[in-house]
Amino acid sequence: MKKEFVFVLLAFLTLGLVSCNSNDDAKGIVIDGIDLSDDVDCCSAEEALQVYKFLQTVKIVPELSTVVDNKYNVFAYTRTGTFHKGYNDIYFVATKRSSGNYVRNFEIKNVTPLMYMVKMNMSHSTPVSPVFDQFDDSRPALRHGWISFLMNTSDAGYWNLSYDVDVLGTSDKVSNVSIDVNALPEGQDWLKNFKLGDDTYFLSLVNADKFATGTNEISVYVSRKNNPITIPYGLADKTFTIEIDPRMPDMGNHTSPGNTTLTRQDDGSYKGVINLTMTGLWRIHLTVKDADGNVVAGGDDLKDGYSSLYWDVTL
Amino acid sequence: MILSILLLSTLGYSPSDSVASPARSIDEVVVVSARAEGAQRSPKGITASIDEHLSVFRNVNLVRRGAYAWEPVVNNMATERVSTTIDGMKIFYACTDKMDPVTSYVESANLQSISLNSGLNGNPQSTGNIGGSVDLKLRKAGFGNGFNAGASKGFETNGNVQVYEADAAWSGERFYVNGGLSYRRADNYKEGGGRVVDFSQFRKVNAFSNTGLRLSNGGVLEHTLIYDRASDVGYPALNMDVSKAEAVITSLSYRHTFSDSWLEAWDTKGYYNHITHIMDDTKRPDVEIHMDMPGKSSTAGLYSLLTASTDVHQLQLNYDLYYNRLFADMTMYPGGAAPMYMVTWPDVGTLNTGAALTDVVTLGRGQSLRLSAKVAQQWQKLNDEEGYHALRVFFPGMKDSYYQTTGRVAAQYAWESSKVRLTAGAGWGSRAPTVTEAYGYYLNNTFDQYDYIGNPRLKNESATEVNASVRWQPGGGLTLTADANAFLFSNYIIGQFERRLSAMTVGAEGVKVYGNLSHATIINTSVEADWQLSRSLRWHGRLTWASGRDDENDPLPLISPVAYRTGIDFSAGRWTAQVLVEGNGTQTHFGEKYGETRTDAYTVAGLNGQYHIPLKTSSLTLRAGVENLFDKRYTSYSDWRDIPQKGRNVYASLVWTL
Repeated sequence: MKKEFVFVLLAFLTLGLVSCNSNDDAKGIVIDGIDLSDDVDCCSAEEALQVYKFLQTVKIVPELSTVVDNKYNVFAYTRTGTFHKGYNDIYFVATKRSSGNYVRNFEIKNVTPLMYMVKMNMSHSTPVSPVFDQFDDSRPALRHGWISFLMNTSDAGYWNLSYDVDVLGTSDKVSNVSIDVNALPEGQDWLKNFKLGDDTYFLSLVNADKFATGTNEISVYVSRKNNPITIPYGLADKTFTIEIDPRMPDMGNHTSPGNTTLTRQDDGSYKGVINLTMTGLWRIHLTVKDADGNVVAGGDDLKDGYSSLYWDVTL
Repeated sequence: MILSILLLSTLGYSPSDSVASPARSIDEVVVVSARAEGAQRSPKGITASIDEHLSVFRNVNLVRRGAYAWEPVVNNMATERVSTTIDGMKIFYACTDKMDPVTSYVESANLQSISLNSGLNGNPQSTGNIGGSVDLKLRKAGFGNGFNAGASKGFETNGNVQVYEADAAWSGERFYVNGGLSYRRADNYKEGGGRVVDFSQFRKVNAFSNTGLRLSNGGVLEHTLIYDRASDVGYPALNMDVSKAEAVITSLSYRHTFSDSWLEAWDTKGYYNHITHIMDDTKRPDVEIHMDMPGKSSTAGLYSLLTASTDVHQLQLNYDLYYNRLFADMTMYPGGAAPMYMVTWPDVGTLNTGAALTDVVTLGRGQSLRLSAKVAQQWQKLNDEEGYHALRVFFPGMKDSYYQTTGRVAAQYAWESSKVRLTAGAGWGSRAPTVTEAYGYYLNNTFDQYDYIGNPRLKNESATEVNASVRWQPGGGLTLTADANAFLFSNYIIGQFERRLSAMTVGAEGVKVYGNLSHATIINTSVEADWQLSRSLRWHGRLTWASGRDDENDPLPLISPVAYRTGIDFSAGRWTAQVLVEGNGTQTHFGEKYGETRTDAYTVAGLNGQYHIPLKTSSLTLRAGVENLFDKRYTSYSDWRDIPQKGRNVYASLVWTL
């Protein structure tokens, strides 16, 4: 009993000392495995710490890593270290192999996912963010973009991914790396499409995994299928509005008040407000209108009286 | 309004140290304890349930959702507008569907009496008591009564009700302790005509102890403890039952008695109670979506009461403080799909503190004045983030903490001569919205089939009360009484249609959000006659009429129709017997707008008798009776969703006291 107490006390003291240390060293930041000595190409200690902290919240995608000219490592990250159907955020960093520090200036280009459809013996791409650019000002060494996978990997088809990287003037190409795209669990369906004339548009729900009971911002990208279809699908040129009607099919199509129509933002995304009154399966029925207010997709009445175009989100 | 003052001096269990309330400030008392005689009481005696004891009050009606845990309605106002305390202790129910009015957490054996103050002239500890205040007086052995014991057994044919109760007391000059155990059970009862009302069963166990210690300085330290647990409780009027409703209620108090002073006593009590309430729908057939709906309520508080009296004044000065935490949530399990979760009471912490003053002034020549006033402040904080964010969907500007001030002031003048007693009174009081009214979240009300959402923007409700009564005793053993009160509300709180919102509960009609009506009125009147025809024969009758109107002069829901009750009491030696006929007129002014349906008139009759057998050192009391003698199938206006009342019920009980 007494020994235990002493042990616990020591453990707390040690913890206290450790945490004190890290506070004391606020200026002399130390990150395990990174040499933070001055290097104009790389992050300052504070910037490196910000990147390092961020990378603790995501997981590496091992198959997308590459070594450039034996001098730089390039790593890709997603939230889970894997991909799933629908919208996925992807982050890239490049490090100097000599110091381990993050390179400030590098470019990720031509990110091209391709699905090979076995039966049809053809390939198609999928919606991808137009650019992979700097994530934010405090983390200049982090690139961010997204891919919204149309399908998950299955017997019907599989995915390859290619991208180009340029680190401090040195280029490399990652070609046709096989990646697995997982299916989403039951009750999650975050990507829908509609046809308008000869074009096919894709509605990628960005932040479904962050929805919680209460008021949420809802963010969406609208992409257009390319011709040829092997080139990644960029954002739609046309501007739409997307009306949402969230319903709970398990609760007699209960809905919530105060939801707002999604409108196009300067950054190309569509944003609105969605209110979710409880956890469970929410079916977000959609009515897409063109700039003149004509309904171009959804907004129809199925047997249950709601639009046939919808996302499913389970929280 | 009449002051039916019933002195408790004949109680074997009531030495002055333990009875704190001067009877003169109480409107009506029902005696529960086995040993008390000569006051209003249930004909079933101690084996009656708390609900049956409450039904004896003139001003009380009971909302029934099953055979158990009826909700007391005072002056046609329910829980929201009535203060219920246990020996001055605050306690708050833990079920969002009102399955557990706090009176369901005590047993008859715990109590000596139940006192009721009508309207705003509440007891010092009560807050928000627009309709009235009920105080459940615990049964303490007190000092200097030696050893006592008692046991009773009750039985009822309808529903196979069994009641067992045993208690004992040891009471010396410096120390007393008393305690007891009760068990009560019932199967499904039969409505008039014999059809079984499914899911009307219940089980309840209860244990209590009271301890007192007289200190060397004359002060008295007292401790009370009640453990109460109901299980397998059916609610035929609701969609769910209860697997467990459990309460622990405890207090420690110190009483200082002043001698040779105009100050009488100073009582200070600290208390704590905790309620756990678990609903259960697993035994119901055809459950669309299985749900778990637990609720918790805990309250810690204290009060300090100083009493003083002079020839003219009888003063009570009280300070009270309590902190209550209320949390409830709901998880629904649609077959196969993801569970749906919501917080229905967002862990609301309520800190309430108040100061009250009451005074009974004797003016001479039969005149007296009863005055009371209280000011209370209340802070509320929503401690559950998820529940708070969910409510913000409906009230985007709401905060997570609120502050309210409420108060009441009331005066009543009485004049009494040998034949006539007149009273007239007036008062004003306000109450803060309840947690359900302010922060409840999709609480389905099976009464009108609407989902209710609380409204944090509600204003305090207030009411002005006027009351008057006259009692006339012309001689010949006849007593005639008439009394009336009227409550004129401002900002009356009630659920209002919100057609823009969509119902959550499958099968619900829609959503109501609590709102303030600019005004509403509730009026209660009664006339009573009591005629002592001879030493052994007494006739009594009572007729009550009430009205409730909202701001558009439409009827409010759950207002009693014309009700009557008449009986003949016979007593001779060890025998007493009673024939009782009671009923309601047709509910013509029902709250149609609020989802209420009309209830038809009914009349039922009953018989009961009691025989007292003194033994050498102890005594036996045998009671027996029949309720609903002609097995009539009927429903009263306060039967939730018109569930029928019990059919013919024959009961008997045997009480042994040492």
